Amino acid sequence: MILDRSHRGWAAATALLLLLSSLSYALYVRATPGGPSGGTAEGIAFGAAASACMLFAALLGVRKRRPHYRLGRISGWLKGHLWLGALSLPLVLFHGGFAMGGPLTRTLMICFLLVFVTGIFGLLLQQFLPRYMTKNVVQETVYEQIDHVREQLLAECVAIAKGGAGAATHAKSAGAIQGRVVTSRAAGAPEGERSEERAPLLRFLDERIRPYFRSDGARREALAEPHRRATLFRELVRMLPPTLHPCCADLEALCGQREQLEMQRRLHLWLHGWLLVHVPLSWTVIALGILHAVLSLSY
Amino acid sequence: MGETAETPASRLEGEALSADEMLALPVFQGCSAALLKKNVGAVVRRSYRPGEILCREGEFGSTAFYLLEGEAEVYIATPMAHLEGRERRRGLFGTMSTFLQSLVRRGKEGGAGGEARLIPIDAPVDLSMDNPVATLRAGELFGEMTCLSFYPRSASVRAQTPLVVLEMLRNVLDILKRGSKTFQEQLLRNYRDRALASHLRSMPLLAGLTEEFVSSLRERVELVSFEPGQVVCKQGDAADRLYLIRIGFVKVSQQSPGGEVILQYLHRGDFFGEMGLLRAGVRTATCTALDHVELVTIGKEDFDRMMREFPDIRAGMEAKARGHAEESARRTEEARAHSVDDFLAQGLMEAQSLLLIDLDRCTRCDDCVRACAASHDGVTRLIRDGLRYENYLVPTSCRSCHDPLCMIGCPVGSIRRRETLEIVIEDWCIGCGLCAKNCPYGNINMHEFEGGAQKAEGKPDKKAITCDLCAELPEPSCVYACPHDAAFRIDPKRFFREGTR
Repeated sequence: MILDRSHRGWAAATALLLLLSSLSYALYVRATPGGPSGGTAEGIAFGAAASACMLFAALLGVRKRRPHYRLGRISGWLKGHLWLGALSLPLVLFHGGFAMGGPLTRTLMICFLLVFVTGIFGLLLQQFLPRYMTKNVVQETVYEQIDHVREQLLAECVAIAKGGAGAATHAKSAGAIQGRVVTSRAAGAPEGERSEERAPLLRFLDERIRPYFRSDGARREALAEPHRRATLFRELVRMLPPTLHPCCADLEALCGQREQLEMQRRLHLWLHGWLLVHVPLSWTVIALGILHAVLSLSY
Repeated sequence: MGETAETPASRLEGEALSADEMLALPVFQGCSAALLKKNVGAVVRRSYRPGEILCREGEFGSTAFYLLEGEAEVYIATPMAHLEGRERRRGLFGTMSTFLQSLVRRGKEGGAGGEARLIPIDAPVDLSMDNPVATLRAGELFGEMTCLSFYPRSASVRAQTPLVVLEMLRNVLDILKRGSKTFQEQLLRNYRDRALASHLRSMPLLAGLTEEFVSSLRERVELVSFEPGQVVCKQGDAADRLYLIRIGFVKVSQQSPGGEVILQYLHRGDFFGEMGLLRAGVRTATCTALDHVELVTIGKEDFDRMMREFPDIRAGMEAKARGHAEESARRTEEARAHSVDDFLAQGLMEAQSLLLIDLDRCTRCDDCVRACAASHDGVTRLIRDGLRYENYLVPTSCRSCHDPLCMIGCPVGSIRRRETLEIVIEDWCIGCGLCAKNCPYGNINMHEFEGGAQKAEGKPDKKAITCDLCAELPEPSCVYACPHDAAFRIDPKRFFREGTR
């Protein structure tokens, strides 16, 4: 979520709450000769407030599982998640009096800090990655369709290299989606062309293009790098008669599309990968927090 | 045979009738023998045993059937199903969830809105939504729209008794319609006797007409035909009758300084011409036949009598006329304010409610798609893929076009626009796919569903689905559920004119 002017209300409310809790903490420290601790009434109050903020933040996941329920816009919930989640850190510190405590609270604190840090990391990524993706992945597709589109591009490469007339038009996305089609530019084999003239092209297809399209870690392939790709295609062009040069240009463009798909996949993983750490750790914090509360209040 | 048309497309397989055989049938009396001789092979006689199928809904064809002997059952086999992509959850949580969902829904589920009670089909009778079956008798014609305009079959027909029919191509149907007085009279008589009452009552506004009034109209209504492109009535002409559409599609448009503004597409089950009759007596719009159109006309005298005798109908008509006047004023004003520009390239000018995703904000989480599926029983209407305009994605989702081309040709009238912007596809869709083909932006998809009658024949049943703007909810779910405020529905002209959100 981009931090923009729509956050002003939440930011102001959070700042106010932070100010009030800081003042309360200062008064509490001054009034407590033995120093602050989580077991005092004030300490428990800070702990309860921090827990409430964390619980609200965790409820975002539940809210997103029922996206169509009219329980407030999810963007509002996400803003609350960000700002109240941020507020929970000082409240937790006020609760423990800036001390880490025993093994359980220490583990809890480490997990909490990791949640906090991964959350900030995710938020920072969201500030610029979508824009970067919009600018640099012009031929973006639905993430789940990347493999499907990759197969279609390869089929088109094969059709172009083999000179098959008019490879099929492929639906860009699965299902009966009308209108969005990628039309093959594959041309028929020129008249009078000898099969040996096409041999370097077919060899290039088998040795370079197929591995590049089939490889999952396509970044390691020579065709993945624009300069090397350009060099390789220049060399290929030199080996081919002029009638086949347009085929090379088409193949190079398709390899460029393959590169874009790979970039999309990478950026998508960055945009969403941090959640693989953030979400499980958040639930761990909630579980450990409950355990901590039960144990502390019982003994 | 030298006089017959030899092209394969002009001949039908079966027991071809010679010109003399045709002329021996009462229905061909009055037709030109020379013309019939030229069309031998374009009409065949077929016999069916009880239970045999003559045609199926959704199939494409080019012929009409005229029943000579026996009775046939006309029905819609596609279940009146509401598409669901997931099983309903049971148990306490499932029940609570269903209850909560029902609380947030504004209107009636299913889209019918309680308005249409009859399904218009390409036959002299309409089908009831509760039990979409009716009987066709000797002397009746069905499949005219398929024959004349090549629309998919609107319903299936099965022989009920031993049945003899004439199956004919368009050229013969044309000869009959133009040349045979017997045929024309029979059509009119059939319509007056069997179809007029149900036709009038299929229109919600006219549902309150009494049997007595309908009987009084029976001998006074007329059938008139129009060819594609022919103007039925012109803006500014004197208004002298009300038109009910029996066959075909009619475009209602107005001239404005920005060009022609399409106000509506009307089809069987709709009527027009009431505004001119109610108001200054002058036509307020031009109505043009889009294909072969047959209209039933009710004269001004009868219309005025109807308005006097049925104050509720009058009030309903006047409210509708007011709504139309306001809508056309708004459209005309828009057309004047916004000249045609680059929007045309992507069809954005056409849109009234466009879903945009700001790609600079969107994290590609697909929560919008999930929310759409959750709001529509697990079947998403939104695919987060499409054209880009600046940094905005125009995803695959209905645009509520000014000129909804998707609505042209639906053989059962299941795709329609409500009083508000949204276009809905009703549950009686037969899955022919014409609307999906007609949508220029690929925003209507065909979705397979379980339990259809054609499943047994290895052909999965499908129904068309499109975005209904979450009509039963206060705001489209895709917009409401976007966590990043990246999705929004806008009027594109206003939005891009202002250049800012």
